[in-house]
Amino acid sequence: MLRFTLERLIGMVITMALVSVMVFLIMEIPPGDYADRYAFRKYSGTGVNVTEADIQAIRADLGLDKPMMLRYFDWIGGIVLRGDFGQAFAFETSVVKVIGDKGWLTLGILFATLLVTYLVSIPVGIFAAVRRASAMDYGLTIFSYLGLALPNFLLALVLLYFANRWFGADIGGLFSDQYADAPWSLAKVWDMIKHLWLPAVVLAWSAVAYQIQTVRATMSDELNKLSVTVARARGVPETKLLIKYPARLAINPIVSTIGFDVNRIFSELPIVAVVLGLTELGELLLRAYLDLDMYVAGAILLLLTFTIVFMNFVSDLLLAWLDPRIKLGA
Amino acid sequence: MLKVENLSISFQTDEGMITPVQNVSFAVQAGRTLGIVGESGSGKSVSTKALMKLLPGNSRVSDEARMTYTDKAGREVRIDQLRPKGRDIRRLRGGEIGMIFQEPMASFSPVYTIGNQMIEAIRLHQKVTKKEARAQAIAMLDKVGISNPVGRVDQYPHEMSGGMRQRAMIALALAARPALLIADEPTTALDVTIQAQVLELMADLQRDLGMGMIFITHDLGVIAQVAQDVAVMYLGTIVESGPTADVIRNPRHPYTQGLLKAIPSLDALHDRLSPVPGDIPSPNERPTGCPFHTRCSQRLQGLCDQQLPPTVPLGPNRSVACWLETPEHRTGAEVDAQQQIKQQEPAQ
Ligand SMILES: Nc1ncnc2c1ncn2[C@@H]1O[C@H](COP(=O)(O)OP(=O)(O)OP(=O)(O)O)[C@@H](O)[C@H]1O
Ligand SMILES: [Mg+2]
Repeated sequence: MLRFTLERLIGMVITMALVSVMVFLIMEIPPGDYADRYAFRKYSGTGVNVTEADIQAIRADLGLDKPMMLRYFDWIGGIVLRGDFGQAFAFETSVVKVIGDKGWLTLGILFATLLVTYLVSIPVGIFAAVRRASAMDYGLTIFSYLGLALPNFLLALVLLYFANRWFGADIGGLFSDQYADAPWSLAKVWDMIKHLWLPAVVLAWSAVAYQIQTVRATMSDELNKLSVTVARARGVPETKLLIKYPARLAINPIVSTIGFDVNRIFSELPIVAVVLGLTELGELLLRAYLDLDMYVAGAILLLLTFTIVFMNFVSDLLLAWLDPRIKLGA
Repeated sequence: MLKVENLSISFQTDEGMITPVQNVSFAVQAGRTLGIVGESGSGKSVSTKALMKLLPGNSRVSDEARMTYTDKAGREVRIDQLRPKGRDIRRLRGGEIGMIFQEPMASFSPVYTIGNQMIEAIRLHQKVTKKEARAQAIAMLDKVGISNPVGRVDQYPHEMSGGMRQRAMIALALAARPALLIADEPTTALDVTIQAQVLELMADLQRDLGMGMIFITHDLGVIAQVAQDVAVMYLGTIVESGPTADVIRNPRHPYTQGLLKAIPSLDALHDRLSPVPGDIPSPNERPTGCPFHTRCSQRLQGLCDQQLPPTVPLGPNRSVACWLETPEHRTGAEVDAQQQIKQQEPAQ
């Protein structure tokens, strides 16, 4: 397992390096740079005549005049060596400050969503497979169709309405007012959890519906395996048997698609965030990109893609742990 | 040690109800091997699964069925009365009755080592520590002829060859020291030389451990090697049973006779004949009367195709279910002749 982990770790680092180059290139694609934008913002309408030399001066000031290669290594070196993601030009502060809480919120929502998805779909899917063709099984199938048919933002609106009616609290946003600017504490974390469940449920909804069917299908297959009958024939009690043998393999397809789930959550999050009044990274990314505020956009893109790459790494390790044939074959 | 009476098993299928096992009775003596032989689909596996309550949910065992097992402590257990998920049947499974299946690869879970699955079996039935169970598992692997058992115990099933896996499967079934071993075609998936080795191993183990055994196969030749008693099954009924030597030397049922003729001799090896001419009827269209009459060259028109033949006792532990063997027909020719004489006598 150690060797396998090491191999995958190296693979992950290489992928991240390539991704960082890609992100940097994406940041470079829009014509112009922040120096143009800055000059335009500052002097348009003022009657001041801005010369090319003025812009060049701004450019040098911002460090944007160096060759691309050099800028890439400055950028990535700062991130890797000092955790410094560069300057957020439009905000006139560091990128880390701008992203700060929004980044944590995005990651918080991501993990809460994954948690809800797996904690619901895995046991329910297993149960549906064991009780195949029961009323519960049919009920779940109907729920699944519903879950897949309902658009996220609609569900978000409906849940928001009920959450407001029943809990009264301002469920939109990530913190209650009194905690919003308070330093981190246990109470603040608890407050966050109380707020996280709503976006998590909204984003998990369709995934749960889908993954229940996946688990149910693979679990049904696994239940019919001879090895399960053989285990039963040596006297293994039913519950232990289900968990140790078929269920362990039945969650394989879920584990192998963690990366896809992360990706999907990131792309669905912005709309849900708008409905729920959350300030997460998606909106910031869009603004930064339009402003040519490249280091902000780059940091956000890196955060999202690195999270996906990292979760793929986790998924690989989990898969190998669930099914040792994978690492032995590799 | 095991007595099965009037076992019938039916399945609810999409095409309706089928009854692939009908009124089967057999017994296994302690320390002896009962061979069950029959073509594919004759109901061999289903019958033995009923003994372990391992049949799927769409199945039903008849109410008249009685399955009585005498456990290691000498107590009689009515298997037919046990709940299929209860503690009592779990005590029997593995601990009293071990089972080996046809496909050694599929029998193991691929994600646990051989040792893990053996230790699980041992600790389910004996109060021993993990370490002791592991030592027992290694000893059992050694006993079934696996070289380097200390290394093999931590291997995964796919790291072994087919023959070795079947040996490991035998070790797994025997891990918790059952008193009765059910082996369902344990050699079919193996190539011929390894088949012979495994057969020999099983005969040895059975003798050494003093187990009772049920050995299922398609092949009467194999039965001759391992089983003292034999039951011949056809379409869910036992058509003939008795001590193996008797049955092979003097087969009474036309089906058994056909099976014996089909044991490949050297000159017949190149054309692997289907054992008995004709096809097995599908379980959905069971013939009326004797199930074998559609393929029987000696059938009695108007009788065999109409009425189920009775089971005729031929001696201690020996019986056959065939109209030809009933008193009225057994000596059919003699009876005719005597009647003719009787008719002639008054005339003289
Ligand atoms: N789960 C099931 N549902 C419906 N019918 C079944 C089921 N299992 C077995 N059967 C029926 O029972 C019949 C006997 O099956 P069984 O597996 O006992 O045959 P067998 O004698 O062991 O054959 P083989 O030598 O091929 O293993 C089959 O023909 C099949 O029609
Ligand atoms: Mg079978």
